[in-house]
Amino acid sequence: MKTPVTPSESPLRILLVDETFEHAALLKRALQDAGCKIAAHVSASADLPGLVAELKPDLIILDTESPDRDTLENLCVINRDQPRPIVMFTHDDDSDKIRAAIRAGVSAYVVDGLKSERLRPIMDVAIARFNEFQAMRTNLEKAESQLSERKEVERAKGILMKQRGWSEEEAYHALRKAAMDKGSRLGDVARQLVEITELLG
Amino acid sequence: MSMVDPAIRSGAWAAGSDAPEKTEVRIGFIPLTDCASVVIASVMGFDKKYGIKIVPSKEASWAGVRDKLVNGELDAAHVLYGLMYGVQMGIGGQKKDMAVLMNLNNNGQAISLSNQLKAKGAVDGASLAALIKKEPREYTFAQTFPTGTHAMWLYYWLGAYGVNPFTEVKNITVPPPQMIANMRVGNMDGFCVGEPWNARAIRDNVGFTAATSQGIWKDHPEKVLGATAEWVAKHPNTARAMIMAILDASKYIDDMKNRSSVARIIAEKSYVNTDFDSIEDRMLGQYNNGNGKKWQDANYMKFYNDGTVNFPYLSDGMWFLTQHKRWGLLKEDPDYLAVAKKVNQIELYKQAATQTKTPIPKDVMRSSKMIDGTVWDGKNPKSYAAGFKVRQS
Repeated sequence: MKTPVTPSESPLRILLVDETFEHAALLKRALQDAGCKIAAHVSASADLPGLVAELKPDLIILDTESPDRDTLENLCVINRDQPRPIVMFTHDDDSDKIRAAIRAGVSAYVVDGLKSERLRPIMDVAIARFNEFQAMRTNLEKAESQLSERKEVERAKGILMKQRGWSEEEAYHALRKAAMDKGSRLGDVARQLVEITELLG
Repeated sequence: MSMVDPAIRSGAWAAGSDAPEKTEVRIGFIPLTDCASVVIASVMGFDKKYGIKIVPSKEASWAGVRDKLVNGELDAAHVLYGLMYGVQMGIGGQKKDMAVLMNLNNNGQAISLSNQLKAKGAVDGASLAALIKKEPREYTFAQTFPTGTHAMWLYYWLGAYGVNPFTEVKNITVPPPQMIANMRVGNMDGFCVGEPWNARAIRDNVGFTAATSQGIWKDHPEKVLGATAEWVAKHPNTARAMIMAILDASKYIDDMKNRSSVARIIAEKSYVNTDFDSIEDRMLGQYNNGNGKKWQDANYMKFYNDGTVNFPYLSDGMWFLTQHKRWGLLKEDPDYLAVAKKVNQIELYKQAATQTKTPIPKDVMRSSKMIDGTVWDGKNPKSYAAGFKVRQS
């Protein structure tokens, strides 16, 4: 089970990725004033995956137009067990655009020049949204896998009923017995049966 | 118009009376040689012929392209085939119904290895696999996006030589323009990326071409013209106009006498931003692998090839799903055919192809033989995905 990132009174540890250091200085000061701790500030082509694994920041902040976004994307997909909330900052304060982006799934947006007292609530909202999203994802994956398992069992039952002339109940018992004998899951046995039948097709 | 039945609307279009719903379209692209047809459609004015204006928009990351498509900042984009299916299935991020309007190019990507590996005798797939087994350490390979085409070519190639890309080597994502710098400082041993970055690796003396993508899968699908399904449903006439303009541009680029001038245009700062020489040779099929071999490649990057490049074959879309499943990016088998039918806009494409006199293949599936000898023809996707010796799930 993934441990949720908790918004709390303790300082948030932040990994800041930005190429233009002088620009980031303002954001850095605002973040520090808002009670955040900058765990690291790096520019492009640093070993981001390594840094994230090492620092385990509460939040990663980077520019919407940074090419490094793809590097972090890999972390979300490959290391699914260690996702971190990502916050974008933008130089463009078109609120419609930001609202659309947030609806699209980015945890939060920070607009360049935002006052420090407004930063912390945004960070907390970002983390809350992220946790919600993760929980939703886990539930969805579970539901999808249960659904697909049920489908496989239905198909396997159908095959047995057709080929052996069994009743639905007999087919189900045969599958359950096979699963118990092999110490495997019902869904796995059903899938194997379906696959082998397809192969012999 | 939105109240009118879609069948009547397409009839109205056939009569030539259906104007684009939106006349100016922003099409995102990443600075790579294969953004050419989108750029040329705009630069050479093929868009005007169909009543639209294409505004190419240079983007910094594939994640940015995806977000901007989803939130509507971009109308369409030059985008990795596999990424479109990744978003459709919600791999690693938001899930959204997507639309592949047409394939933009075949071939023209490659896998480069560092000169350090060359010095140790790793010059192709087999010798690389032998080195990894003989001298174990953490070998690092980069691709451009976790669900994208380069990731899939790299994984397929390593897998074909018995190397598991997830357990036996480290694999990372690096933006294309940063590949060479990362290889130079020793952050990686190899990468898979689109041109001109493999040609540049040789010119910059950091690496060489160990395999071309056309050597992995001759005439493989690559970048597509992508949008969200919602956008296409709202703007079918604009979508058709975009396909027609880009089909015209694709024909123009595949006329070899135009290739050098195309290379010159896309090398400019506002597009790929590189020297012309890095782009031109491989666009003309003149390959030099940086390790003493020079050849004229018959399967160089193609944009049209009598329309076979552009048809959104269902089997091509399904292939990416089979690989996502193979590598555990998808945990369960999807309904491969149903997903591809939903994503690939065959009908819209056929209308555009008919109008531009682009030949349309008879079948929505095609058969391809890969580097490891396996044949993919769109049949039995589930057993195909599960049938690889090297796989994650």
